[in-house]
Parts: sequence; C-alpha cells; structure tokens
Amino acid sequence: MRFTICAAKPEDCKDIARMIMELAVYEKMPDQVKISHKELERDGFGPNPFYQCLVAEVPEEHKSKDGHTKVGYALFFYTYSTWKGRTVYMEDLYVMPEYRGKGMGKALIATVAKVAKEQHCVRLQFSVLDWNKPSLDFYLSKGAEDLTAKEGWHFLRFHGIALDNLAQEAP
Amino acid sequence: MEFTIRAATLEDCKDISRMILELAEYEKVSDQVKIAQRDLEQDGFSKNPFFHGIIAEVPEHLKSKEDSCMYFFTGHTKVGYSLYFYTYSSWKGRAVYMEDLYVMPEFRGKGIGKALMSKVSQLGLAAGCTQLNFTVLDWNKSSLDFYLKQGCWDVTSDLGYHCMRCEGDALEHLAQGGL
Repeated sequence: MRFTICAAKPEDCKDIARMIMELAVYEKMPDQVKISHKELERDGFGPNPFYQCLVAEVPEEHKSKDGHTKVGYALFFYTYSTWKGRTVYMEDLYVMPEYRGKGMGKALIATVAKVAKEQHCVRLQFSVLDWNKPSLDFYLSKGAEDLTAKEGWHFLRFHGIALDNLAQEAP
Repeated sequence: MEFTIRAATLEDCKDISRMILELAEYEKVSDQVKIAQRDLEQDGFSKNPFFHGIIAEVPEHLKSKEDSCMYFFTGHTKVGYSLYFYTYSSWKGRAVYMEDLYVMPEFRGKGIGKALMSKVSQLGLAAGCTQLNFTVLDWNKSSLDFYLKQGCWDVTSDLGYHCMRCEGDALEHLAQGGL
C-alpha cells in the first residue's frame, strides 16, 4: 500500500489527537488523556515547539472505514544525555490497526531516527509497557535495548499535589 | 549551611562537566561519559538549547575541601547542579525532565538536593508543565527513598513502563530505513 510520511502541520492536530486517544485505549488508559488538539496546536507549532511530529498518510482510495487518510503518527522531541550529548525521545509511535503490517510503523520510527541523526543525536529513546509483547518484539528486533531489564532504570514522576508541594519549597 | 540556587551560565560549564564525571563515578560508569565542557557550552547556551542548568553555590569560606584532581586544587564553590529540559506528554501536555541531580558528597544532608529539585519543579510549573519526570537506577536505594519521600511515584514499578534505547549501529540501521 502506498503511503507518505510527512512533518505534521497545525491542521493535522485533530487527527493526531484522535490517534493519541486510540493509542491510549490500546494501552488501557484512555481516562489519562487530558489534552486536546488545541494544546497540540499551541505546543507544537510556535517559535519554541515542545515536540515534533510525523504523520503517515494514505491516498484517498485507501482511506479508513471512518474516512481517515491520516493513519499513523510519531511524536518526538529533543533531549540531552550528560554522558553522550544530544538525544531524541520518541513519545508516541502509532499506526491504526487496519493499516498495520504494511511497513508504516517501521517507516515512522526510521524517519525519526533519520531526523535524529541529521541533528547529530546519538540516541533514540522511548518507553514500552512490559505487557506489550508485539511492540517489545518489534523494537528489540530493530536493535533496541531494554534498559529497565538490562540496567535497572526506573521512570519516576512528580505530578499533581506532590509537584505543587515540591515547587513551593524552592528558594 | 548557606547556599544559593541560580540558573547556570556558560562559565559554569567547566564545573558542571566536573560534577557530571563525579556523578558518573557514583553510578559506577565513568567510562561512559563522552561529552566535554565544550559540548555543554554549545548545546546548552546556543539559540535553541538542548537543556537548561541550575547551580548550587556556597560562599568562598565554605568551599569544598576534597578534590579528585591531585595536581591543581583550589576548592570548589559550585557544589551541586541539576540539568533539565522540556518534554511533552501526548496525554498531559508540557512536562519537564530532570536528567541529572547531583550534590558533592561533603555537601549532602543540608537541603541542597531538595532545593535544586524544587527549583526545577518551580520553573517547570511556571512554564505550564504538569509533570516532573526522571529516572533512577533500581539499586540506588538512597536516591529512590529520597524521591519517594518527596511524593513521587515509580512509573516503572506501578505501570510497567520500560526505558528503551537505540544507539550506535542499531540507530544507523534504523535511520537507513527512513523515507
């Protein structure tokens, strides 16, 4: 199936928001999504964007059952390793179920990797849920390492009241 | 103990580089550090910086007593740092990631680490962030206890998220498949 991978534009944000929700449903946490296309437009397309996004699109004749031609996306941003320098973090990688197995997921992550290398980044990092075996297998087959399993790294987070309390103690 | 917390400047990169190495030694992986002072200067202080830094500084009369460099020792007044950058959650929006938090051993237990982390969270909230994220090694019990005591939660233990990475040849091969 023919498809294109292009940098997202502000008018893509409604489709990206739709697919973010589909991915959250797949990850069994749809109630966790608190932002809409409005925040995506504000935060992704100003002078200092918080993220970059790629969209996978199919021609009109291959549109989805619900009439969508934007059928996949990858959302990423630049980060920094004090050991290795510039890095990229891929926050989301998603292809609508009916379009899987056609190389779109691979093309999306490969394009993120290509952009990363163009910006002299030396690492591409992301996270995967431990029960998500198809995704884990896909990434491991591409040469990714599981740092949690291998080195014991854990993600920690402050949010809500705990974050407010912490901030209030700043000098 | 008297100390100040302030934004890092270009001139601080030498001390930040020193402390990055000290932190890597603490994490038992000092041979992994591949970047130097000039990389920090270029990447942290250009038009689109990859990171931001905060420094903890003590007055001259409280400067450090120990130094791993035996040849030239003047005592350090820059005794801690935090390095962070803005990230994005597709569920929650703007977030801040704390890449490093470090206080020199002789200055620990005086509230400096907590003050650095609080400053990062204050700056993050001011920028509209709703999360402060970071990672900790599972064997680092003293750091884990410190963070959990402050009210954070372990996303890996609680939800099962694993940190994944592609680098070196794997990243090259992956990039060659891009459109």
